[in-house]
Amino acid sequence: MSASQSAVRSRAEAVKVSRTFDWLIIFTLFFVVLGGYHIHYMLTGGDWDFWTDWKDRRLWVTVAPIVSITFPAAVQSMLWWRYRLPFGAVLCILGLLLGEWVNRYLNFWGWTYFPVNFCFPSNLMPGAIVLDVVLMLSGSMTVTAVLGGMAWGLLFYPGNWPIIAPLHVPVEYNGMMMTLADLQGYHYVRTGTPEYIRMVEKGTLRTFGKDVAPVSAFFSAFVSILIYFLWHFFGKWFNGTSFTQSA
Amino acid sequence: MAATTESVKADAAEAPLLNKRNMFLGAALYVVFYGWVRWYEGVYGWSAGLDSFAPEFETYWMNFLYIEFVLEIITASILWGYLWKSRDRKVMSITPREELRRHMTHWTWLVMYGIAIYYGASYFTEQDGTWHQTIVRDTDFTPSHIIEFYLSYPIYIITGGACFLYAKTRLPTYQQGLHLQYMVAVLGPFMILPNVGLNEWGHTFWFMEELFVAPLHYGFVFFGWAALGVMGVVNTEVAAIAKLLKKDLA
Repeated sequence: MSASQSAVRSRAEAVKVSRTFDWLIIFTLFFVVLGGYHIHYMLTGGDWDFWTDWKDRRLWVTVAPIVSITFPAAVQSMLWWRYRLPFGAVLCILGLLLGEWVNRYLNFWGWTYFPVNFCFPSNLMPGAIVLDVVLMLSGSMTVTAVLGGMAWGLLFYPGNWPIIAPLHVPVEYNGMMMTLADLQGYHYVRTGTPEYIRMVEKGTLRTFGKDVAPVSAFFSAFVSILIYFLWHFFGKWFNGTSFTQSA
Repeated sequence: MAATTESVKADAAEAPLLNKRNMFLGAALYVVFYGWVRWYEGVYGWSAGLDSFAPEFETYWMNFLYIEFVLEIITASILWGYLWKSRDRKVMSITPREELRRHMTHWTWLVMYGIAIYYGASYFTEQDGTWHQTIVRDTDFTPSHIIEFYLSYPIYIITGGACFLYAKTRLPTYQQGLHLQYMVAVLGPFMILPNVGLNEWGHTFWFMEELFVAPLHYGFVFFGWAALGVMGVVNTEVAAIAKLLKKDLA
């Protein structure tokens, strides 16, 4: 190839080609990240995300933020640190939520007939916006990990509260006290997932009642900070452009 | 004047930098095909897919499995074989414009990979969750597995392999060796398929109910991370395209 030759005929064509590549890259990055992120999230926190009766005050609040901060940290290490684009976390969450909502509607409802108000996904968008904004304003990976990671864990429960609160209303049913979400679980039987494997409200901390969710959120925030650091460096490795030795 | 006329004629005859028609037809192929697959699941999942010992299960699901195996092997052989056999043996001497055109075609392949990964890793994998949390499995080859593991995964493997082969055989950017992150982005998700062996062995050995976050499934998670290798591919492509366009955009 000759360095003196030009790949395009005019500046206008160069601009057009550049924009076309932008769209091709965004589309591909969005869907490949969606696929990787979704399979990661559904297999590390999925059960708490699938069903309202798993969305408790203790394990859902703890697990979901910890396992979901991974891909946003990695994608930020590319979009911000290489291209100064401040939307790595939001891109990931938009992808994840698209994948989840399509599935919950077309498959959970469309194939196995669970109503959408029993199997809607968790809302991760507030934490994602804060994570991106902290990175954009601070320009610091450490500040983003500590403040953004902490916000990621702490905002999860309040961000979902308006959606889940009506289903945490207590009801008495056949002489037993439970939540509406529990009742949904008993009525919409999942034969392959019997009640004895449901992991909710475990441990003695719940004896303290109202303190369970904030304490769980705070623990989740702490681990989210550590996971952010780890996945930032994972992301940096995946950003590499190295070649193995030519044979 | 004559030279100008010739130049204009050459431009008109030249293939477009990005063949949008091919790209939309390719995308439509995946979407329409998977739409049909989803319709098939809806009709024959409940009516013929609950009891693997029933004759209708053999008719509608096991035959589907055998047919898809054959078609996947044929498709991979023809597609990968064609890409390799028709490789450019003088790839380092192509013109910058031809190189740009090939990058566009490469991105058409990558867009297809994005669609194929979405259907495999997102759509059909979470769908498998709701099927098995609802229906008790009595075989490894359940209706959702026949679609997820043995159809949607091979399709994204075939597509990813085609992307890699196209880049390796036609683009100067990828001639200095094997691009590590590109291999991770293609081979990592590929490894999800062999990991099905562990998954099925564990399900038959330990339990029949479905806890989606069970450690038995973590192999899928590990190899799913490899999709992030696409970031290295994007970075390499951005550098290559910037080199081609830099002086015209300045």
